[in-house]
Amino acid sequence: MGLPVIDIRNIHRIYESSAGYTHALRGVSLTVSKGEFLCIMGPSGSGKSTLMNILGCLDTPTTGTYLLEGLDVSQLEDDDLAEIRANRLGFVFQSFNLLPRATVLRNVTLPLTYTDIPVSERKIRAAKALASVGLPPDFFEHRSNELSGGQMQRVAIARALVNDPAVVFADEPTGNLDTATGELIMKAFRSLHDAGKTIVLITHDEEVAAWADRIVHIRDGLLYTDEEHKRLIESRGLA
Amino acid sequence: MRARDLAYETVAALDANRGRSILTVLGIVIGIAAVIAMTALIGGVRQSMIEQYGLSQARMVSMWCYYDREMTIEDVDALSKEMSAYYEAITPVTGTSETVVVGKVKKDAQVNGVYAEYSEIQNLKFTQGRFFTKKEVEEEARVVVIEQSALKALFDNPNAEAVGQAIHIGNDDFTVVGVIENTSSVGMDDWITVNVPYTTCIKRLDAWSDVSQVYGLAREGSDMEEIAKYTERWLARHFKVPEDERESSIYVLTMDSIIKQLDTMIGSFQALMLAVASVSLLVGGIGIMNMMLTNVTERIREIGLRKALGARRSDITGQFLLEAVCLTLIGGVIGILVGFGAAYLLADIAGGAVSSAVAGDSSANITPTIDMQAVMLATAICVGIGIVFGYYPARRAAKLDPVESLRYQ
Repeated sequence: MGLPVIDIRNIHRIYESSAGYTHALRGVSLTVSKGEFLCIMGPSGSGKSTLMNILGCLDTPTTGTYLLEGLDVSQLEDDDLAEIRANRLGFVFQSFNLLPRATVLRNVTLPLTYTDIPVSERKIRAAKALASVGLPPDFFEHRSNELSGGQMQRVAIARALVNDPAVVFADEPTGNLDTATGELIMKAFRSLHDAGKTIVLITHDEEVAAWADRIVHIRDGLLYTDEEHKRLIESRGLA
Repeated sequence: MRARDLAYETVAALDANRGRSILTVLGIVIGIAAVIAMTALIGGVRQSMIEQYGLSQARMVSMWCYYDREMTIEDVDALSKEMSAYYEAITPVTGTSETVVVGKVKKDAQVNGVYAEYSEIQNLKFTQGRFFTKKEVEEEARVVVIEQSALKALFDNPNAEAVGQAIHIGNDDFTVVGVIENTSSVGMDDWITVNVPYTTCIKRLDAWSDVSQVYGLAREGSDMEEIAKYTERWLARHFKVPEDERESSIYVLTMDSIIKQLDTMIGSFQALMLAVASVSLLVGGIGIMNMMLTNVTERIREIGLRKALGARRSDITGQFLLEAVCLTLIGGVIGILVGFGAAYLLADIAGGAVSSAVAGDSSANITPTIDMQAVMLATAICVGIGIVFGYYPARRAAKLDPVESLRYQ
């Protein structure tokens, strides 16, 4: 498969607060290959968000290395991380996080304003990204707050795709949607996967997780494969 | 982030908060309007005062001496001979008041008797004809140069062809050879001003004195302060004025010295006004900072999103800083317009008040000066306020943690 897109080794993340130290990640290792559709599952408080933030270059590990496409990003400064987010990563959030007063097109081109991609190319890229999530051009000039939830999330996915990222991170992308719309969104992710995109999905919902190729579980800051996790549950008698 | 993107964001953000933005910039508007109105009015007052001294050129010197005796034409001759290294031209001025008659029209006039050089020294602007020549001065010719206001008063028409016309001054007929623009903005309609050759004024009209004042035009590129000093020394020597009497018996004025005097007079007033304006600008600036802080808090999620999408600290700082600068700049532009408007309004009211105080149809006009330097300074101040008071909120926005901000409710 060549170089993995994501390669983290023995990552620890310790938060320091007035209440003391919190050991959120206790030695996590994980590789994600190009084109893989991975799901990270875990209950709240498991370290799921911490892992997601580190993978998404929004946070850095306390110790351990993180190679993103072979580049060590574990010790980078804020602005260097920002540049990686702008050029190599895409994000889809639970609450869409669109600029409500801006048009669909403006929302999708927003990440490109932080890259070197020329202005002339931006609209073309945005239109392509929107087409790949199945949003018709009639909507391009609509304000994003005039759209339905499913449409908003599709705009958000298009926004995550517009910079042609190495990985798309989706954090509970169906959390704010009804089941039917959620399924449509997951279908959209699936077709992106079919087109060769690397996707990392974070959820606590098994039905959503089932769309992925591979599932890993996180519990108390430690990562388990699907089989390990089943054995763990059986041995502890957890449901 | 490109300039174009920054501009787009700024316009969008300001548009989203239109009402609040306008209220917030009021402080800046008032401060800048005060500064502009003040400088425009003071400039206008200064200009009209300078004009009243009859000093229309930077190179012009006005002088006079009285010690034991009055100044005579011999003194002027000696002055022009001995000071020729410094002066390009010198003219004595004498004067009288006479009744001027044209047909049935009778007007009281201030008659100036001057040399031909007066035109060059005063930098007179002609609307018709010419000034009288040296030869005409030598020959005591009965020629006269009238002002535009006199033309209107005597011929009842500001465009009347006056050159060649005869007018009666005192007991003689004079021929009009030229018409000049009004030399003073503070003119009285019932008093007209006419200029005749010096010699004619002395011989044919009842001049008040031999010499009531002397005007000189310094050579190009001279140091006016030096010239004034030399002239004062020469007069002191010539009239044998003792050291302690000089101040009261000799006066030598240059444009520079008058402006200096005026400026010290105006200065303290200006300082007071500036203090008031800076308080207003300070309050305005704090208002801007307050609004920008509110803005940042309201848009924490947006900032978090932008950072997650790859905005660097400098992008966020730039965005909010530009927003603040645009706000203050808009305030500044409005302030400049309001300021000039207020200056013209106040000048009008002041002019009216003076007119009614003097009674009759005299018109004291203060024309506010539109000083590009003041406009530029005001603009620069606005940008400065925007940067100073916008920096802290912008920096605060830039330092926000993307993870925390995205979670912010």
